[in-house]
Amino acid sequence: MKLLRGLGWTMIWAGGLVLLFLVYQLWGTNLITDRAQDQATDALEVYLSDTGEQLAAAGELPPPTPDDPEAAQPVLYEEPSPALHTPFARIVIPKAGVDHIVFAGVSRDDLKKGPGHMEWTALPGQPGNAVISGHRTTYGAPFYDLDLVGVGDEITVQTAIGTHVFAVREILIVSPSAVEVTEPRLGVWLTLTTCHPRRSAAQRLIVHAELAAGPNLEYARSLFPDVEGSAS
Amino acid sequence: MIRRWFQALPGPLPVRLLIAFVIVAIVVALLAVVFERAGDLIDTGGVVGPGQ
Repeated sequence: MKLLRGLGWTMIWAGGLVLLFLVYQLWGTNLITDRAQDQATDALEVYLSDTGEQLAAAGELPPPTPDDPEAAQPVLYEEPSPALHTPFARIVIPKAGVDHIVFAGVSRDDLKKGPGHMEWTALPGQPGNAVISGHRTTYGAPFYDLDLVGVGDEITVQTAIGTHVFAVREILIVSPSAVEVTEPRLGVWLTLTTCHPRRSAAQRLIVHAELAAGPNLEYARSLFPDVEGSAS
Repeated sequence: MIRRWFQALPGPLPVRLLIAFVIVAIVVALLAVVFERAGDLIDTGGVVGPGQ
């Protein structure tokens, strides 16, 4: 009888702990991310404004509206790497309901605050493959509905040099160790990575998108001189 | 159960309160670490790489 009572209490405590765990993961972590995103709003404005002013002073900022985009020279507009762990961009994916501030870095703490940019990959809008990772289930779940995105859908990323619009080209499900999806690509690419399926870290959902509009579009097109419309 | 555990602590009431507070704080800190690590089972943040 005493043994049964002890077993009963143990199960009640274990159940309570599991419940506490789920409440913390599915609700409590969202509060942490929401607060971090709120706090980052002003910091991002300051960063975009200050960096934009520096680039403008150096004459390295693209004109707001090019007179004749077809005649534009393929100039590469660059921007400085942001300090690690700081907000530096905003990502918007209408199809997936995403509108989040992106932080530099993909450490555990960075991803608690929002989507994170793998600092060893290209910056969004720069030649190569910019990789942004985000939570799918916990910590605000910025990429919760990323599976709703289809080929051709738009992804917009605002950085210090302007707004880059990417068009989704490829969607993959891979293993968590499939590091090849982060490798550099010819052109200007954006890759999003998140856990798959929801509430599991067993696989990764990968979205590859190519630059379709933005300050470096002409430069991106110039990388494919013989291929018609390769970056369109 | 909790009352019996509290009464089993040594010392007068203020000391028992202090001991209970320290024990609860340690348990909460341990739970936070365990929850954090266990959370990786349902969502790691989506990072791709050799250590994932």
